[in-house]
Amino acid sequence: MHQFNVHRIGPEVKIAGIDLSFTNSSLFMIISAVTICLFLFLATKEKKLIPGKLQLTGELFYDFIAKMISDTAGSKAKPYFPFIFSLFMFVLLCNMVGMLPYAFTVTSHIIVTLILALFIFIAVTFIGFLKHGFKYLKIFVPSGVPVLLLPLITIIEIISYLSRPVSLSVRLFANMMAGHTMLKVFGGFVISLGLLGGWLPLTFSVALTGLEILVAFLQAYVFAILTCIYLNDALNLHH
Amino acid sequence: MRQLFLISLNYLVIGEVLYAAEAGMPQLDPTYWASQGFWLIIVFSILYIIISKLFIPRIKNNLEVRENKIKNDLEDAKNLKELAEKKEIEYKEVIQKAKKDVAKIFIDSKKKLDKDLRVKKDLIEKEINKEFKKTEKEINELKKNSISSINSISEKIVSKIIEDISGDKLNESSIKAVISDISKKNLDKYL
Repeated sequence: MHQFNVHRIGPEVKIAGIDLSFTNSSLFMIISAVTICLFLFLATKEKKLIPGKLQLTGELFYDFIAKMISDTAGSKAKPYFPFIFSLFMFVLLCNMVGMLPYAFTVTSHIIVTLILALFIFIAVTFIGFLKHGFKYLKIFVPSGVPVLLLPLITIIEIISYLSRPVSLSVRLFANMMAGHTMLKVFGGFVISLGLLGGWLPLTFSVALTGLEILVAFLQAYVFAILTCIYLNDALNLHH
Repeated sequence: MRQLFLISLNYLVIGEVLYAAEAGMPQLDPTYWASQGFWLIIVFSILYIIISKLFIPRIKNNLEVRENKIKNDLEDAKNLKELAEKKEIEYKEVIQKAKKDVAKIFIDSKKKLDKDLRVKKDLIEKEINKEFKKTEKEINELKKNSISSINSISEKIVSKIIEDISGDKLNESSIKAVISDISKKNLDKYL
């Protein structure tokens, strides 16, 4: 599991006894962010009426996220568009950059995804209480449920609400880690089986790389769309 | 007792995590958790600010410009279409009017021609009639003259014949009477 190791780059930085050193994880976060900025810069450099390839790709991403938000959370979620857009791009690029050989996958670390998910969870809860006050607690009491079942349903709802950050973060982290581990395992088989039998796992490895690219995109999409759904719960009380 | 339990629980949990990290899960090694969180917050915040302040307005602006352009173009096209339709109606009206005018001119000229024709025909007929009457008159005069001259010639011939045969001269007035009588009887046969 060498590929998941975090190691320090440069001097050790300690603030109040907490190690905040620059690591390979930080490096790849910056690489992802810079790549996003570079891509968006090139995509918006020329404002053509008929877009070029890069401009079209940028506008496709924009439309994709805008449509996702309006479909799941409605027009009230428009102010949160830049956040969802940044989140999707960041997670997508971290996943994609991680697909490169010798690269570090930022999102394969539970702490990174957990911080993102916790931030979303706290922000969504905050927005919910800000918009609806204590009526937001109605989210735990669905309407149209028999009185006898209500306490049970409420408890289940509370547990499911509280487990949102966990499920959100573990889903992304586990997918990324499992994919990379699997690639490594098949890569190891190629070496151990040698020239004679190594072709089969190599084929699998190639196929899995394709699958992993799909998963990288899909998980970024899932992360973003779940954020939208949570936001929708906070903005529009349906219960 | 309770403290001991907590310590042992803590030890167990940390030990578990450390063991897992050593066994191949670097994700569970807490050494760099703070660093990762710290850098994540910094990088993501900067990225968010750049995207929301710089790139999203740019893309949005460009999309809006295009949308407006398309909308304007569509509106222009609609206006032009309406104009074309109006012009077509006008054109049709002009054609209709021209057709009517042509028909009117045709009928008018036909009437005029008919009238002219009739007038000329009448004129010519009158002239023909006049000429006809004149000629008839002349013929009648010629007839009359010819009758009287025939009568006088026949009188002379008769008187000569009688003279030659009998040697007498008959009364001219009696001859005249006979001849006029005969000519009156037979004149209708020849004239």
